[in-house]
Amino acid sequence: MTVVTKMKGFAAAAGLAATLMTGGATYALAEEVTLTMAVPDWPPTRIMKKFFDEQYKPKSGNTVKLDVDFIPWPDFYTRVNASLTSGEQKYNFIVSDSQWLGAFVEGGYYRKINDLLDADPEFKKTLMSVHPAPLAAYSTYPYKSENYYGFPQFPDVLVNYGRKDILCHEEEQKNFQAKYGKKLPCTGEELDAMTWDDFKNVGEFFRRKKGEMLAGAPAEDDFYGIAFQAGKGYDFSSMQINGFIWQMGGNVWDETQAPTGQAEGVVNSPEAVAALEKYLSLLEYMPPVAKTGTMDIFKSDELFREGKVAMNIDWIGLGEASLDPKSSKVSDKLVFGQMPGTMGPDGKMIRWSNIGGQPFVLTTWTTPEQTTEAVEFVKWWLSNDIQHQFAAGGGQSAVKEVYEDPKYVTYRPWNRAWAPQLDWQKDVWHVPQFFELLTQQQDQFDLAITGKQDAKTTLDNIAKFQQDLLTNAGLIQ
Amino acid sequence: MTSTTATAPPPALMRLSPDNWKLAILVGLIVSVIAAIALPASASFWIIGAMAAMIGAAFVVNAYRRKYYGGLLVAPAIAVLFVMNIFPLLWSLGLSFYAYQSNQQSIRFVGLANYIKVLTNDIAAPANWAALVNTAMFVVLTVTAQMIVGFLLAMMFAKQFPLRKYLLILVLTPMMLSVVASGVFFTYYYDPTFGILSYVVNAITGGQFILMSSKVGAVAGIVFADAWMWSPFVMLLVLAGLVSVPKYLYEAAAIDRVSKWRQFWTITFPYIRGLLMLALLFRTIEAFKLADLVILLTKGGNDTMTISYHLIRIANEQNKTSEGAAISYLMLFMVIVLTNLYLYIANRRSQGA
Amino acid sequence: MAEHNSIWEALGFRKASGVGEAGWGRTLFVAIVSLIYFLPVLFIIFTAFKPQDAALSVPPTLSPTSFFGLIPDKYVFTPTIENFGSVFNRSMTSGGAPESTGFDRYFFNSIVIASSSVLLALVIGTLAAFGFSRYPLKGNDTYLFIILTTRMLPAIVVIIPVILMFRVVGLSGSYTGIILLYTAFNLAFTIWMMKSFFDELSLDVEDAARIDGSSDMKVFFKIALPQVVAGLAATFVFGLILTWNEFLFALLLSGPDTRTVPVAMNQAVSSGGRGTDWTLLAAIETLFLIPVFLVTFFLQNHLLRGVTFGTVKR
Repeated sequence: MTVVTKMKGFAAAAGLAATLMTGGATYALAEEVTLTMAVPDWPPTRIMKKFFDEQYKPKSGNTVKLDVDFIPWPDFYTRVNASLTSGEQKYNFIVSDSQWLGAFVEGGYYRKINDLLDADPEFKKTLMSVHPAPLAAYSTYPYKSENYYGFPQFPDVLVNYGRKDILCHEEEQKNFQAKYGKKLPCTGEELDAMTWDDFKNVGEFFRRKKGEMLAGAPAEDDFYGIAFQAGKGYDFSSMQINGFIWQMGGNVWDETQAPTGQAEGVVNSPEAVAALEKYLSLLEYMPPVAKTGTMDIFKSDELFREGKVAMNIDWIGLGEASLDPKSSKVSDKLVFGQMPGTMGPDGKMIRWSNIGGQPFVLTTWTTPEQTTEAVEFVKWWLSNDIQHQFAAGGGQSAVKEVYEDPKYVTYRPWNRAWAPQLDWQKDVWHVPQFFELLTQQQDQFDLAITGKQDAKTTLDNIAKFQQDLLTNAGLIQ
Repeated sequence: MTSTTATAPPPALMRLSPDNWKLAILVGLIVSVIAAIALPASASFWIIGAMAAMIGAAFVVNAYRRKYYGGLLVAPAIAVLFVMNIFPLLWSLGLSFYAYQSNQQSIRFVGLANYIKVLTNDIAAPANWAALVNTAMFVVLTVTAQMIVGFLLAMMFAKQFPLRKYLLILVLTPMMLSVVASGVFFTYYYDPTFGILSYVVNAITGGQFILMSSKVGAVAGIVFADAWMWSPFVMLLVLAGLVSVPKYLYEAAAIDRVSKWRQFWTITFPYIRGLLMLALLFRTIEAFKLADLVILLTKGGNDTMTISYHLIRIANEQNKTSEGAAISYLMLFMVIVLTNLYLYIANRRSQGA
Repeated sequence: MAEHNSIWEALGFRKASGVGEAGWGRTLFVAIVSLIYFLPVLFIIFTAFKPQDAALSVPPTLSPTSFFGLIPDKYVFTPTIENFGSVFNRSMTSGGAPESTGFDRYFFNSIVIASSSVLLALVIGTLAAFGFSRYPLKGNDTYLFIILTTRMLPAIVVIIPVILMFRVVGLSGSYTGIILLYTAFNLAFTIWMMKSFFDELSLDVEDAARIDGSSDMKVFFKIALPQVVAGLAATFVFGLILTWNEFLFALLLSGPDTRTVPVAMNQAVSSGGRGTDWTLLAAIETLFLIPVFLVTFFLQNHLLRGVTFGTVKR
């Protein structure tokens, strides 16, 4: 029994010491506050850390440290998920895909920040200066509600990467005009004006075998006109297909309509089936890896950087690598435009697209002292000056004043497509069942992409699965 | 055997003595229960741990005094395994009887419902069965390939010849690669645009070869990569057995003019049988866990989903902890049946021989 | 046979005792097979020496030299060692100055964690194996089988309890925790493997020694252990290889300071806002291969010397 008494004595002593320490701290002038942050390891987060270390001066006079755990992208979710669900309570800030919000809010890990916004009008003003589409995507759960959670870290949209040297080549221009009776898009504005049909024409037109003439010289290798994501992993086909579905008048299961919004009849509506068919019909003009179901955002980007395709739809987040001559064979031949759209019946272009990028969020175990410093840090991060610096260093900003500044488009060649695209961004589900919905949908899309199943069957299967799952979860009545 | 040389009678329950393990258990239990009730988890954890150590120590002293050397030698291993492996295993076994998702706070006892769900539910079960069938296929294909290639490689290296050790290390290297690196590079080798395989095949046939676009190709790609990496494991085990055959046995056999074939079965094989069995056992167990190569090469596309990858999705991505635990215990049951079958056959053979 | 310690002998040109002997014909045959088997590794090593823009060139570049015109120029790349520098120091932001990547630390961690856990498992496991082999307990096979089952479940299933346990005990992110976990991870294999070696030994020698008055301790250290040196070497090599490349536990249980190379390696799989950086990945893997390659190479001597059954041959 002596062991127990000793342990109790020890516990009491430790408790006393802890009280003394915290009590003592309130009298101290400057505290040291450490904010721990889990981030994926890539330039936008490295820049954030760098700016913080070099420039951040807390107003409170405290010493604030940002302790950043850089986790490689491929394992980021696994690491963060395990840390959160095991109750490790290790991180104060977490960079999170917007779709994870529901799962981790319901689990009690992500902190709702409405009280902080109400308490600090300046903070609220800062957050509300973010464009409403990304703000809803990155911060709200349920999606588009008034409950706020996150702040933009790296906002992202899909854009069209093009090869100027090929697209603007005189010979190709002439032949394209002759074949399709239209001008081959070559400038950024011409890329902006493209529909998916034009995109298909580019794909068909530029399919060249090794040795055939390409832009005035024999092609060194097989060449393809177009590429976009069509991979089975994570969300590497849904993010593209959703854009098609929305543009052509269909919809995914809409959580803002819950509980009356249905999956069956919506997800597999004739418009959605037509949209998926359109998406699938473009695959035949893409590099052969598209047939394996492994052409994800990285593979299509790699094919583009290696000079195997003329156009690629991909996230801005991958753009820096194509500008860098070390990692890109086309670094000096680039032109960027908005993702192609669908011509509406009224002659106006419909450009719905699925938003990318990540917010970062606060966790529920962050102490009041930490929270105070965290709010100051977020205000600083979203301030115009820092956002401008971030954008100039390769980031993106969804803060209105920043991206509307004429300087903004000069930072990077794709920035001209940024502001007009923001209005057209929507997000998929924020519900806790996100991962189940996504996994099943990706599996089904993969069957369609690899030619094992037609568009109708695919969407029927998805609709049925979602209807069952969401009905069981009480999200569909 | 010295294990039977127990001398002193076991001590009475209430006698205070360092080898009185019965008393230790009694005290340990009482203290643990009190600690668990009265103290916060972080403190009671240590106390319960200390009690477990005390009981363990009593067993050790008891074993030492009575010369149970077997128990004494095995004790440290059992202790480490218990804390790091068996305890977490039992924990997840317990979870499989609850409705629990690790990202939610609620937990509820549901008995066998999880097991029934993963076996019969019309949404969950087909995916499990399909993954299981694929896993069985991969187990058979990869293990067979590894055993054959590994055995042949070992026979190749069994004799002493010039430069042997420099050549052997070349064959052993694939096993030393990190699966991430070798898997990612296999995606490159198989890539239809950049890869070597398609380049060679296209140069010969003039067509466009895409290995990973069909199930046969995808399975072949995964099996090849896996067998390439792990055949050296089998080889090294078999080789370790081969070199332990005393040379004089062969010399004697040569004098008696025994045929090579009979030499192999009567002299060589008995020395490698145990190690072959071990290789088969461990490769089978590992093959059931095949996931990383599948994730890197196909993401489960072309009907190559394995039960382990399926499990990662369920238990990790979707946080369905209990359902995942149920699947893995069903899987464990199957592996146990299979390995017992191996061991049974091996033991019967060795008794018959 | 007379002992010659010539350079030829050191190179392996010796007619030492073994299962049998073969000549240069066997060498030629084995060399061809081994080289083919080694090709995928060789390609990774070569990739580590390629300039970034040659990594994905079509046709694939296969050799750093044309071997005096033997290999056509289109298959030849100009080697560089730049990639190895990038492993430790490179720009982590677009256009930023080179900074430390932390890989020096990760390599150190991998070496400390893998070597200590494998050695620990070898010590504990060999004792246990001898116990199981020489002093069978009641239900010996059952214990052995339970030990084996610890290797049967995918790691993902036990990981949540382990994380929780580590958090409560404060082992999360520490060296001790991950070393102990890896020790357990290696034990099953160590015990089974060493037991099979002890089982193969002849009991007569040990019994004779006991009759001569040797203690059990002496029997173990002086008689049993020297006969299973090959087994110890093989077990160590296997344990090291498995631990060296372990990924999931390392990902979830190591902190930023105790992170190992297999986890950090994914920096190169999705690096700097793009997909795989092939040359960087190859450089990391090549560097990471060196320690385990050397250990295997040097232990290989032990492994291949063969077990000398002291009493018979000496």
